[in-house]
Amino acid sequence: MHHSASNPMDKNQEIITICDLNKWYGDFHVLKNINLTVRKGERIVICGPSGSGKSTLIRCINRLEEFQKGSLVVDGVEMIEDVKNIETIRREVGMVFQHFNLFPHLTILENLCLGPIWVHKKPKAEAEATAMQYLERVQIPDQANKYPGQLSGGQQQRVAIARSLCMHPKIMLFDEPTSALDPEMIKEVLDVMIELAEEGMTMLCVTHEMGFAKKVADRVIFMDVGEIVEQNAPNQFFTNPQVDRTQKFLQQILNH
Amino acid sequence: MIIYVLANILPGLIDWLFISANWIGETQDDCTKEGACWVFVNAWSQQSIYGSYPTDELWRVNLCLALLTAIIVSSYLLDKSLRAKISVPLFLLFPFICILLLDGSYIGLEKISTDFWGGFSLNVLLAAASIIIAFPLGFIWALGRQSHMPFARSVSIVLIEFFRGVPVLALFFMGSVMLPLFFPEGTNVDKLLRVWIVLILFMSGYMAEVYRGGLQAIPHGQYEAADSLGLGYWQKTLLIIFPQVVKISMPNILATFVMLFKNTTFLLIIGIFEMLSTTQTALSNSYWLGGYAAEGYIFVAIVFWTCCFGMSMLAASIERQLDTVKR
Repeated sequence: MHHSASNPMDKNQEIITICDLNKWYGDFHVLKNINLTVRKGERIVICGPSGSGKSTLIRCINRLEEFQKGSLVVDGVEMIEDVKNIETIRREVGMVFQHFNLFPHLTILENLCLGPIWVHKKPKAEAEATAMQYLERVQIPDQANKYPGQLSGGQQQRVAIARSLCMHPKIMLFDEPTSALDPEMIKEVLDVMIELAEEGMTMLCVTHEMGFAKKVADRVIFMDVGEIVEQNAPNQFFTNPQVDRTQKFLQQILNH
Repeated sequence: MIIYVLANILPGLIDWLFISANWIGETQDDCTKEGACWVFVNAWSQQSIYGSYPTDELWRVNLCLALLTAIIVSSYLLDKSLRAKISVPLFLLFPFICILLLDGSYIGLEKISTDFWGGFSLNVLLAAASIIIAFPLGFIWALGRQSHMPFARSVSIVLIEFFRGVPVLALFFMGSVMLPLFFPEGTNVDKLLRVWIVLILFMSGYMAEVYRGGLQAIPHGQYEAADSLGLGYWQKTLLIIFPQVVKISMPNILATFVMLFKNTTFLLIIGIFEMLSTTQTALSNSYWLGGYAAEGYIFVAIVFWTCCFGMSMLAASIERQLDTVKR
């Protein structure tokens, strides 16, 4: 696949560098002095209570949110106030949303081909072949000509993942990808994400699925009130949290 | 109560409309029976449909009408990808094809001055030509109104509010009487062209507000999904937002179309011979004195109603086609 980080030279290369990032909504300080470095192929799970700024943080990476202070470099391109620059970064970064955000007026196949055809200027036949390949990978090639409204939530989210992959992104952002799903559909989406992680995709995933974090994450980051409170390898993070707030949070989400 | 009223009125009405109506003949003298004189309508049918357009050249008008029908039918039958490639450009070219054909002088045919254009065909073609231009223009105004750029936003708001706030009759008078005062002396912009421009701007104002409702109904996630794929502003707007706005706004778009179509009859007051004014001319004709107003206006009403009803049916069927959830 295109995403395998098999080249050992790549392994330690920094792909996202966030320095002293600060963001305000009016007077409300949403992100406070965030420093984060992500290496190529790294899989990061970000968790924390609601309102902690975790979604806002990953949405800054593809500029769905602006920030007021600090710097952000994605794959060697610095995020500055410039349309061309922002579009360059967005082409490298795929995103999967909580509410799927498929385009309801287009078929599944058209949803997948839109980016490759209009952004990468691929010929239609080539874009469709690639799209079918990814639909097979997320195991719903038979739904290609249906509309998003006819699919279940789990199927729609898998389509959304495939739509991002069709753009051959170097980084995938997941913003609570399973939070809007019925319990019986969470597994099918997580399976796709696990497979992707195993292929070496660089992933940043905001989720409360701690099983997923234990299984694939290289690093778990805990955020609260706009700060990165603690980050560690999953086994350390879950068995031996260093900070009180992390312990409390873990108790709350693991004990129910 | 209602039944009682109907029972009293209906038999007489049916008798007048059909049973004792005069169907056959050519002149006033053939209308001998008690009922409606449809001979009047029949005798004036060419006038009321084509105005004073020369009889030998009527094929041009018919060709325009046929072309319009063909484009509508084809856009309905073609599948989605062909529709964008064939029907949309044809629609946008249609007003200009009509001008070339009807005027004739640009393509080597006999020139027919716009003074001779008229009748119901003018209502239809003028409405269609205005709608076709106003459809995208209104969307641009609606986008302008939402824009973060102060200049684009204020210009759009002024345009939209002006053309929505001023009565259409006043706009027609401005177009026909006031506008020429601002042109440099000696320039003569055709009256029908001025009217067309007024109709486009008026319609765009209304369409912009219809679209605004649709734009507000698009979930923010659609913009974010398009952004995250790296689509540019116009790609996002045209490929993702516009189709969904049109779909959501379909009932209101149709209502606006019907309104504009009916408003074309107001053109009679500035001396354009659309269907209603040809009917009035016919009523004051010296060979047809004796009050055939009822027949004349009923005919106009039936023709307009049939067309508007047809548009409703078409829109309902488009809505069904656009419904991507239930299909």
